[in-house]
Amino acid sequence: MGVTPIRPGQLAGVPLGRRPAEPIIEIDHVSQVFKTSSRRDHTALSDISLSVEEGAFVSILGPSGCGKSTLLYIVGGFVSPTGGTAKMKGKPITGPGTDRGPVFQEFALFPWKSVLGNVMYGPLQQGIKPSKAEARARALIAMVGLTGFEKFYPKELSGGMKQRVALARTLAYGPEVLLMDEPFGALDAHTRTRLQNDLLEIWERDRKTVLFVTHSVEEAVFLSDKVVMMSRSPGRIREVIDIDLPRPRRREELLLDPRYQKYIVEIERMFDASGDNELPS
Amino acid sequence: MNALLKPLAPVLACCGLLAAWQLASLGLKNDSFPTALDSLRAIPPILTDKESLINILASLRRMAIGFALALSFAIPLGLLMGRSRSMAAFFNPLLMLIYPVPKAALMPIIMLWLGVGDISKTLVIFLGVSLPVIYHSFEGAKAVEEKMLWSGAAMGLSPGERLLRIVLPAALPEILTGCRTGIVLALITMVTSEMIARQSGAGNILFNALDMGQYDTVFAMIIIIGAMGICLDAAFEVIRRWLVRWSEPQFDMPLSFS
Ligand SMILES: Nc1ncnc2c1ncn2[C@@H]1O[C@H](COP(=O)(O)OP(=O)(O)OP(=O)(O)O)[C@@H](O)[C@H]1O
Ligand SMILES: [Mg+2]
Repeated sequence: MGVTPIRPGQLAGVPLGRRPAEPIIEIDHVSQVFKTSSRRDHTALSDISLSVEEGAFVSILGPSGCGKSTLLYIVGGFVSPTGGTAKMKGKPITGPGTDRGPVFQEFALFPWKSVLGNVMYGPLQQGIKPSKAEARARALIAMVGLTGFEKFYPKELSGGMKQRVALARTLAYGPEVLLMDEPFGALDAHTRTRLQNDLLEIWERDRKTVLFVTHSVEEAVFLSDKVVMMSRSPGRIREVIDIDLPRPRRREELLLDPRYQKYIVEIERMFDASGDNELPS
Repeated sequence: MNALLKPLAPVLACCGLLAAWQLASLGLKNDSFPTALDSLRAIPPILTDKESLINILASLRRMAIGFALALSFAIPLGLLMGRSRSMAAFFNPLLMLIYPVPKAALMPIIMLWLGVGDISKTLVIFLGVSLPVIYHSFEGAKAVEEKMLWSGAAMGLSPGERLLRIVLPAALPEILTGCRTGIVLALITMVTSEMIARQSGAGNILFNALDMGQYDTVFAMIIIIGAMGICLDAAFEVIRRWLVRWSEPQFDMPLSFS
């Protein structure tokens, strides 16, 4: 593909589905207490410990309000935890950095920039020559299937298209870790499926570490190596489940695969068993 | 039919107004209320008189300088206030005090300190324009989506760069709304300042004519000043639309002559 590989050959020779177990992100006894207006403190996250291996696709699954976004913001360095530490490659996270690329559910595109301008923004900021930045942006726009929309402003795009631009914009500056917060939450079922397939294809191509927040059990199982199940009040990790399904994954094959079905049923049952029944799928 | 009528509407409104004026003035037969035609006829002599033109240009120059100074001061201040709690806490009470004071009412004091020249008048225009621009810049900066700033931070933008390259463009539609109010206020304070410090300017021509009982000139000047306002506003609106062509239509302002 025309895309400049950001870390060329880095994972060459590693067999699909089995990667070296080197933690890139370590979350160590992290807790987050918010002061609320009703003077009672609210514990959003309580004693979260999690380590994410380099190149792994990890989904965070849990009921609304269990602190999934908060956890992602802490890893992104946008919020600092009230307790514990989060580390990236062994160094404590003290703020945002280009090594961690967020894709927000709200898209957060720059409305005054065209699609091309949005995707070029990161590379230009890194001091890459405009002609090179543009070439990289155009390749990424093509990769997310938006060729022909380079000159469009965000207001002229549909929700699914904005989400693709947001993904391309983050990929453009080459973060080592993608932090995706319910990126497909607001999309219709069809677009959602298509974007899941696209994301998987992109990920299987250059194996970035992904932390992926979702409400959907199916989505989590389909995409991930590992599913982190959280429970609410206070937000804790209930269970971490390894998803041992072959890659590259294809939806048509997985839907017929009893192991895939079993994971979904198992996880849904675990949620039903707990009090946390509020799990919209 | 509608498509034909739309561009003609302002022209028709003007003609209607002039006709009503003409009839009212003919009916009242009052010396201090010249007819529309007499007033219109008094316009060309003003616009061809060198002295008058110098006066009008001086007014416009003061207005432009006052306006430009106000923008270069008010936009950064408003943006900083919108993004920094302590800046807002410090400046808000101050602005709340100044806000309701008619800026022209400060003119006598300013004249006392700075004389009746350009500096005083430009300062009053500056004050008049600054407040709405600060207010709108503040509101615009406050409303900038946090995730947009986070996205910028993740790309490596420093706090200063985020203010200049994310907050400023994101707040631009709101800022320009403030600027448009600012233009009208600049015109108003310009005329009032010249009314108080009579020495030069469009306002000076108007009030001199009034003193001398040349009522057609008075009305002609009112038309000229009004036309200046309409033209400035229309020109600004064209620039504004171009600058925020990317924004959602909620910022479209239907009240416009352009
Ligand atoms: N800035 C804040 N101030 C106070 N409380 C907050 C703040 N941000 C989040 N919370 C609280 O923390 C808890 C977790 O919020 P968070 O947004 O992380 O949940 P979530 O799991 O992402 O939910 P959802 O799936 O609905 O997006 C919620 O109960 C919320 O009320
Ligand atoms: Mg959330």
